[in-house]
Amino acid sequence: MRVTLWGVRGSIPVPGPAAAGFGGNTSCVQVTVGDGSELILDAGTGIRALGEAIVARSRRLHILLTHLHLDHIQGLMFFAPLFDRDAEVTVWGPPAAGRALRDRLARYISNPLSPIEIRDLAARVSFEDTPSTPWRIGDVELRASLVAHRGPTLGYRLTEDGSSVAYLPDHEPGLGEDLGTADPRWISGHRLARDASLLIHDCQYDDAEYGGHRGWGHSSLADALAFARRSEARRVALFHHDPGHDDARLDALGEQAAERWAAGGRDAPLELAREGQSFEL
Amino acid sequence: MPPPDEINDADERPLELILARNLVSIISLAAFLVDVDGDIVFFNEAAAQVIGARFEETGSLTREQWNPEFGPFDEHGRPVPYDELPLTIAVREGRPAYGRFHIRTDSGSLIEIEAGAFPLTGPDGYHGAMVMFWPLSTDGEG
Repeated sequence: MRVTLWGVRGSIPVPGPAAAGFGGNTSCVQVTVGDGSELILDAGTGIRALGEAIVARSRRLHILLTHLHLDHIQGLMFFAPLFDRDAEVTVWGPPAAGRALRDRLARYISNPLSPIEIRDLAARVSFEDTPSTPWRIGDVELRASLVAHRGPTLGYRLTEDGSSVAYLPDHEPGLGEDLGTADPRWISGHRLARDASLLIHDCQYDDAEYGGHRGWGHSSLADALAFARRSEARRVALFHHDPGHDDARLDALGEQAAERWAAGGRDAPLELAREGQSFEL
Repeated sequence: MPPPDEINDADERPLELILARNLVSIISLAAFLVDVDGDIVFFNEAAAQVIGARFEETGSLTREQWNPEFGPFDEHGRPVPYDELPLTIAVREGRPAYGRFHIRTDSGSLIEIEAGAFPLTGPDGYHGAMVMFWPLSTDGEG
């Protein structure tokens, strides 16, 4: 299983040289598995470049949306395979009361926000509610659960041949909970992340910033580290960087994270996610 | 608490219950959470003051444990099976409900309470209920 990060930023894209090191595109992660299947986690602006890279060779694609906040769907309209008549794309997303996934996405892919309507997509596109029980796509077992964030939001775990990636880009498990001591049965997302080969997890704020953003659905560095520690993930990539954090600030946050992680007695590799980075699991 | 590798899927709480517990744990109104089986999986400090036992001491209580011990009971002190309680029936049907009944405190006294219950229903169905209650009589006056 190869995991490639095409967008690691949260909230809004950040163009410009000050953020070029970690990258400015919003959430998008490509997971390529042994049977050649391409699974794409979220459709932030990072999915545009991914689409350009795979449009000619990958015709059967699955896009797994965690939720429908704009930074996770903004790239959909610019994803080249959706305009390829020979492509077949399944879009999975969280169920919500009252409106089908296609209808909810059509609020974005429609006038006046878009020059095209969702029915104009040339590919054979289907929209599916993500199951609440494990299911398979090719050789991959997928599991999804609702996690603590504003609105219906999923985390995912993809497993192939004993290797697994857990993806929780927007997650605030520490809201009202002490992650250091809580019974893990009561920690949002714990089952998805437990013992994962790679945990990709929200770390939008440093600890000082978090105080002003409590309840917004994202994690502080302290909570991201505590969640990773409790999950016993074998590798950790901190993700969904705040748009206000330039490279210098993220470098400093990364150093702080590494020191605190090591001080906590963990030797699993931990780093701040970078656009373009790949992991072989 | 069990280490991570000893937790199975059946133990994992659904998010609806996790978020409800976050709320219940910080409010001053007596409240508890039941899961889909009717087991009490959490009650708060205010509830502990009414019944006379703390969650940290009791842990989760199965229906078989709490039903005969704490109640509910009718006005004559006869046990009311949890499944037959109008409030239980309503909540399982997905409706908020209100009810009055008696419970037995840790000291053995019966007290009358009012309770409001809210089903915790997610996209994949019913996960349990949040029950808020307040005593109409004090210990020994029930």
